[in-house]
Amino acid sequence: MELSQQHACHECDLLMALPEKLSPKQALVCPRCKSVQYTHYPNALEHALSFSISAIILLIIASMFPFLSFDSQGYIRTINLLQTPYELYQQGFVLLSFLVFAFVVLLPFLYLACVLALLLPIRLQKMPLAPVQLGKAISYFLPWSMAEVFIVGVLVALIKASEAADIIFEGAFWAYLAFVVFFVATANVLSKQQLWAWIDNAKPR
Amino acid sequence: MQNQGKHFPRCTAAHEGLVSCHVCHKLAPVKQKTCDRCHTPLHVRTPNSIQYTLAFLVTAMIFYIPANLYPIMNTSLLGELTESTIIGGVLLFIEHDSYFIAAIIFTASVLIPIAKMLILIWLCYATSSASHLSGSELTRLYRVTEFIGKWSMIDIFVVAILVALVQVTGIMSITPGLAARAFALVVILTMLAATKLDVRLIWDKQLQT
Repeated sequence: MELSQQHACHECDLLMALPEKLSPKQALVCPRCKSVQYTHYPNALEHALSFSISAIILLIIASMFPFLSFDSQGYIRTINLLQTPYELYQQGFVLLSFLVFAFVVLLPFLYLACVLALLLPIRLQKMPLAPVQLGKAISYFLPWSMAEVFIVGVLVALIKASEAADIIFEGAFWAYLAFVVFFVATANVLSKQQLWAWIDNAKPR
Repeated sequence: MQNQGKHFPRCTAAHEGLVSCHVCHKLAPVKQKTCDRCHTPLHVRTPNSIQYTLAFLVTAMIFYIPANLYPIMNTSLLGELTESTIIGGVLLFIEHDSYFIAAIIFTASVLIPIAKMLILIWLCYATSSASHLSGSELTRLYRVTEFIGKWSMIDIFVVAILVALVQVTGIMSITPGLAARAFALVVILTMLAATKLDVRLIWDKQLQT
């Protein structure tokens, strides 16, 4: 059997033959360790593109406009998203500030930018620039993007602060929330299998 | 033709003399040095996987001590400074009868990191001796550990938001404590430990016995 028709489970190394075709939303599951290898989404390219375009626009909006307001007996303070790492930086917590910035804004943004730089040309049937490097970057950035964790963090912080003051959600908070939904959807549709199949097709021969 | 893979359990790619790229999952013959699709160096099993995992774990455990002893957040209200540790924060929520939030913080900052470190040590142990759990149960444990890893960052994000938001000059301000740095490192180190651990080593051991 040809190597390209075989697949090794990445968790238990079981060698299996790739199925010819999966039906929509059907997943290939390793028969031995039951880990999901990948799920087949019909029109994955269009879905991934539309989700990632929405996500990147929402992320840009979320980092430009007021995020939260704090109202303590008439004293009002409004912060935007980037002020969260900036304030840590101001207080001398450089490492923390960098980590928060990277996990919440930078890595999700780079992930989406790489996805777009790779998939847009493929959709328009042009050659993407450096498809292999983009593909690798996509798989390295994803595990370190913590947008969904940040949203839960915001909610917990609000409950903590709500004793001292009234907290108001501003527009950028809702934009960030919507961004998280599209971000998770993008990552969900883009399986490694699918991604590298597209890269294979896009590579010059 | 090649006999080098035969000590791996049957039905595995390694047994057939094949190696799967850990970045793009493409199969290649075992003598190939780099993946011809994504140029990543190929290894049948992650080299020094257990050594890396244990090194990250031990470092994480050391940092976990100051993360709990030192305050994670300092609140100053009208010149009066209150320092709160991770556990102190949980207890405060219990005192205020917000059990749900107390449970979230306790799970994210205490339960998950400790459970993660213990499970990873156990999994490392399972690569060298037979376990009474089956391979798929151990794999499931690994999958859960890998998935929940980043959720421990909640506490760091809470501190970051409060620091930015609650700054009323001269009246009230919040600053991060020493433990915040240590705790962030604990989360990152345990995530690195989990990514370095090669689960296939567990299967190699468990299928052998």
